Amino acid sequence: MASKPEKIFWGSGVSPGIVLGQVLKMDSHRRLILKLHIENAAEEERRFLKAIEVSKEQLETLKSRMEEKVGREHAIILDAHLLILEDRAMNSEILEIIRRQNANAEWAVMQATEVFVNAYKSLEDEYFRERHSDIEHVAERILQNLSGDHRINWGHLPENLIITSRDFNPSNFATMDFKKVRGLVLESGGRTSHTAIVSRGLRLPAVMGVRDFLPDVETGDTVLLDADNGQVIVNPTPGRIEEVRGRIEAFGATMDTSVAQSGWRTATKDGTPISLRANTELPHELTAATASGAEGIGLFRSEFIFFGHPEGFPEMEDQLAVYGMLAREMRPHTVAIRTLDAGSERISRSPDLMNPENPSMGLRGIRLSLNAKEAFRTQIEAILRASCEGKIEIVFPMISTVEEVWQGRELIDLVRSKLLKTEDLAIADIPVGAMIEIPAAVLSLEALAKEVDFLCVGTNDLIQYVLAVDRGNPNVAYLFRPLHPAVLQCLSRISEVAQKLQKPVRICGEISSNPFFAVLLLGMGFTQLSMTPISIPTVRRVIQALPMEAARQIARKALTFVTTHDVHQYLTRAVSELIPWDLKSYANEIAVTSPSNGH
Amino acid sequence: MIRQSVLVTNKLGLHARAAAKLVRLTSRFSSDIYISRADANQQIDSKSILGILMLAASKGTRLVFSIEGEDEVEAGDSICRLFESKFGEEN
Repeated sequence: MASKPEKIFWGSGVSPGIVLGQVLKMDSHRRLILKLHIENAAEEERRFLKAIEVSKEQLETLKSRMEEKVGREHAIILDAHLLILEDRAMNSEILEIIRRQNANAEWAVMQATEVFVNAYKSLEDEYFRERHSDIEHVAERILQNLSGDHRINWGHLPENLIITSRDFNPSNFATMDFKKVRGLVLESGGRTSHTAIVSRGLRLPAVMGVRDFLPDVETGDTVLLDADNGQVIVNPTPGRIEEVRGRIEAFGATMDTSVAQSGWRTATKDGTPISLRANTELPHELTAATASGAEGIGLFRSEFIFFGHPEGFPEMEDQLAVYGMLAREMRPHTVAIRTLDAGSERISRSPDLMNPENPSMGLRGIRLSLNAKEAFRTQIEAILRASCEGKIEIVFPMISTVEEVWQGRELIDLVRSKLLKTEDLAIADIPVGAMIEIPAAVLSLEALAKEVDFLCVGTNDLIQYVLAVDRGNPNVAYLFRPLHPAVLQCLSRISEVAQKLQKPVRICGEISSNPFFAVLLLGMGFTQLSMTPISIPTVRRVIQALPMEAARQIARKALTFVTTHDVHQYLTRAVSELIPWDLKSYANEIAVTSPSNGH
Repeated sequence: MIRQSVLVTNKLGLHARAAAKLVRLTSRFSSDIYISRADANQQIDSKSILGILMLAASKGTRLVFSIEGEDEVEAGDSICRLFESKFGEEN
């Protein structure tokens, strides 16, 4: 490849770090598809035609089986699929992409499919518009037959990959080889996106919201990713690389050592013990959690097992393997598994479970679980069985009524007694907790707390629901204010009620990883914080320098202000007086932003 | 080359099953067979199901076939018969 000119792009650095690597272009669909450069295009064409052949045989078998079982009329739709499979317009487009771009067949199939799918989606007639799903089904089959088990062979790829894509489904993290992926550049997304949160958890430098980036890069291009400054430089000059070599090496060095921790116990300067736990969602994060000295997993977000699964609802055995591994690895500490917390639109393709209009207020969390009882039962069985391998807790998300807790507990009891009866498997009582994230749960906390063994505060959702702000919506994202006086009142009330009823309560939101906010939480009386593993060392250091009485005073005073701005100003000043290090970037993280920001 | 005008008269229009039948039929002929809606210019290959579905031809749509090749007359007749039979769906 001839050397290309240097080009600089800007975006927002959502996960810090600086790395030099090679671009690996990825398709933005659910499936992880990368654009590779194929030397022998003719061979690739043959591979594609072979996949068509195999797909055809499969569909024909399927069709005759369907004719036998449900009748000819229904099998005719497979006839349409067969014709789509052999469609001249589609296939010549795919072959053209392979030939012209020396692209891999998977990429060509995705690209060509997208063109057709978009054309169909623009049709007015609903029936014809819906046909895009037939195209997607057929493409899915071709892709499966192309790659066999459709997993990427990471073995052939170099070791310093920078993944670039339009958007990125967080479930893709589950299939990546982290020894090889060093950074992430996306055209979409921002600081609060789920992918950003996971990137920070994985300590993977990431820049998002980089406009019009993809047309200028190809797989194999050299790229300098400077997430500290939100900068992405394609084909950097040797001089440019020399300029930052020191920083690159320094960052590489921290990657190796900064998670190594001296002690496990955390306490304030005057000796009040504080428990710091890790929020995790991927098996990879377990190493980071252990290395950070987390006292257990305060929140395991189980949805990732579901997102990565083709049918949405994974088998009991698959779930057990993950939960059991967590329990074993974290011994003697506990692992709190949050049951599926996703909107139905993320999980199911069944039309009666779809409610994409306002998903955060729809059928999700415990509501979806109680609605899809079989899947819920399966998850509970896997969690109960895993509890034989270590200490496990179970947490129900999106609790808004006492009845939901009752129903959840009832199901746990039912599954437990069935396991005892059918398999003679005696499973001890496992602690049951509720996520406190809906304002109704805060207001009726006394009643709820009596029904559970412990409480988990999901600050992200709580803030979103209390302030009625969708933080994914750039027009209102500036109103997502963790230091809003109403949010502080809610948190203060939760702490008071929990102390009165002597219920353990844990803060499980991203926000507790902010040192300023952590001080506030401690001052309110919270002694258990759970956060992304990467943040634990910093927060621990802050806590160790903090006298408890000072934190209490700060919290008391912070609750007296009427604007977020004043809370922020007071909090950052008061904490900075106590903590000698530069915490400016953390102060900015919780600052009030103006409406125009983030556009 | 011949041109043949047909009216979509079956209830469901040129939906997936009907389109499949049309592709199977036209693919039997060696002639090039293109379709366009009477109310639009874009011509699509009648041997491509994705093209046909994209016409979004509901009941009452008038279509024009342009057929060119050795068996064009025979192809035109067969196409007309298929449309007249309402794709064998409503008998």
